[in-house]
Amino acid sequence: MTIRRFWSIWQNRLAVVITALFVVVALAAPILAPQPDPANPSYFKVVGQNFQRIPEPPSEENILGTVPQITNLPMFGFIPGQDASYRWDVYFSLIWGTRSALRFGLLVTLATAVLGVILGALSGYIGGWFGGLLMRITDAFLTFPPIAAVWLIRRLFFQQINNPFMMPELLRPWELLLARWQIDPVMIALVMFSWMPYARLVNSTISQLKTTEYIQAAESIGASHARILFRHLLPNAITPAIVLAARDVGGLVIMASAFIFIGIGGNVVWGVILVTARDYVIGIGGNPLRYWWTFVPVTSALILFSIGWNLLGDGLNTLLNPRARR
Amino acid sequence: MTFLKFLIRRLLAIPLTLFVITAVLFAFIVTAPPEERAALYFPPRQPRILTDVQIQAMLERIIVEHGLDKPYPVQYANWVNDLLHGDWGWSPTFNTDVLELLLLRTPVTAELTLYSVLLLIPLGLISGVAAGWRHGGRTDAIFRFTAFLGTSIPPFILGLILLSIFYIGLRWFPTGRSGVLDVTLRRATFTPYTGFLTLDGLLNGRPDITIDAFRHLALPIFTLSLAHWATLGRVTRAAMIEEIDKEYITSARARGLYNRSVVWRHAFRNALLPALTSSILSAASLVTGVFVVEVIFNIKGLSELITKGIGAFTPDTPLALGFAVYSVLLVMPIMIVLDLLKAIADPRLREGEIAS
Repeated sequence: MTIRRFWSIWQNRLAVVITALFVVVALAAPILAPQPDPANPSYFKVVGQNFQRIPEPPSEENILGTVPQITNLPMFGFIPGQDASYRWDVYFSLIWGTRSALRFGLLVTLATAVLGVILGALSGYIGGWFGGLLMRITDAFLTFPPIAAVWLIRRLFFQQINNPFMMPELLRPWELLLARWQIDPVMIALVMFSWMPYARLVNSTISQLKTTEYIQAAESIGASHARILFRHLLPNAITPAIVLAARDVGGLVIMASAFIFIGIGGNVVWGVILVTARDYVIGIGGNPLRYWWTFVPVTSALILFSIGWNLLGDGLNTLLNPRARR
Repeated sequence: MTFLKFLIRRLLAIPLTLFVITAVLFAFIVTAPPEERAALYFPPRQPRILTDVQIQAMLERIIVEHGLDKPYPVQYANWVNDLLHGDWGWSPTFNTDVLELLLLRTPVTAELTLYSVLLLIPLGLISGVAAGWRHGGRTDAIFRFTAFLGTSIPPFILGLILLSIFYIGLRWFPTGRSGVLDVTLRRATFTPYTGFLTLDGLLNGRPDITIDAFRHLALPIFTLSLAHWATLGRVTRAAMIEEIDKEYITSARARGLYNRSVVWRHAFRNALLPALTSSILSAASLVTGVFVVEVIFNIKGLSELITKGIGAFTPDTPLALGFAVYSVLLVMPIMIVLDLLKAIADPRLREGEIAS
């Protein structure tokens, strides 16, 4: 019944279609854009010669044209021979970038949500001075912009990983793990400094519900703390957190792209393509569309991605939150 | 009187916040080996290239002098002591004292932030209320569409497109901070009273400098405001929709009150709370946004320290750490103002009846 209600609103249908589209593209990436060298997979396909510095318009070979890559960014598998300039196929990175954006968005959102919900549930259920202290700590974290953390984390933990001349054998085990799972400073910083809304939300819901009669009833029949928390309290607190999480996915990917854009690191592929396209957006003679293929497809994908997850969040809100249902 | 008590309680929370953040940051730092952390205390300028033996000796001297091999609390206390005494280290990238560098760049960033906040908060509240009051109508449809676009367009692409049209194409709004020669600003006749070019121009009787500064600020302010305006407007709208279905609104209308008075004196005051809460949650992301916009529009504010410091060949730990501490000091005033506004809007909060 509720599913039918959900489906009857066109915004919700749009949201499901968009997010499903991105998931399908991400899964079908090897079919849509075959890797030129399957043994050595990459998010970028290098085409053209060293001296080609003008973006090529869409052609049969490169469906969405190319974008020149002038300098080698050491964060994406440094290739010593190719440190001059070459061009990237936009279409290839657009398709594979879907995979990278989904991976980044879902991973970071999941980690923040889990962290926030656990801390919020603990502080809400235990309450007292401990809960108060935990909430003050949450408020303290709120004052910290993640951008400053990116720098510090990069400086402290990624010095060796980002060093292009470092031999993999010399990396410490945890550094190898970070490199293998492609975890970058931006990811860590965003997880560390965006769990607070979840904690506040879950904390306020649980501390409100804790004194209600049905919880007292559960206590009086001798239910354990764990049972009360997981069976009776969390299901009520988790739905707003899910809505928040769905709305967060798109925003996080945009923020990560912005971090790449201003040059402080990260490896969301769309962001890398956009920072490469920077000089061509400014264009010649004030016409931003002169080299449209360098940024329009990827920007549209980014906007669509964000709109899709935002709409999905709104839809889930009307589905899960009885007060917003009208 | 209760308000005063509330104020005192809020102000007492500031040291706690600072303590938590600095302790977490320092816990990060401590994970690095002492030899690496000695970079925090390097002397200002290396007179000549040192030999390995000399460097080793210097490292050992620093480790002993600053107790880098002591347990965490001792080191933390030492470090905080240094911070309080204004000793934030020396940045090799800029070859300047870190605190001095940060203070020098602050007015630039603060000016941009201040004007954006002054623009986006009234606009966000008004448009949210207008859309929420007549939700389902045409205003609402237009608002929802713009707000969705506003949150979804990456600010850096918007900034680039604006630059391409209004700077390179039409030449209306230049980049950078000011078109006035640096010499003019440093002359003895031009006193930097506030550090804000827009105000200093007026105070020094040079309205042309003010106008020029505003021309430079127009695009950054617009880019920065759009996304945050959209978020604030959407929260206000949702809160308004929730409020206007309540019975007190119906009764106010039944008594024949004017629409304007029902909206602004009744519904809006209650809808303000969620809006302010959401602003508190996004205060830090506003500062992040400021840095992004500064880079795009080539404004040499605090963000330049990040972009240069990260790309620097010599690892600039003192600046990275100083910047992290400083950005907390930057966000906190915003949070405190929002907190106080919340308490003004809701008497229950300042009476301590409900928790924030």
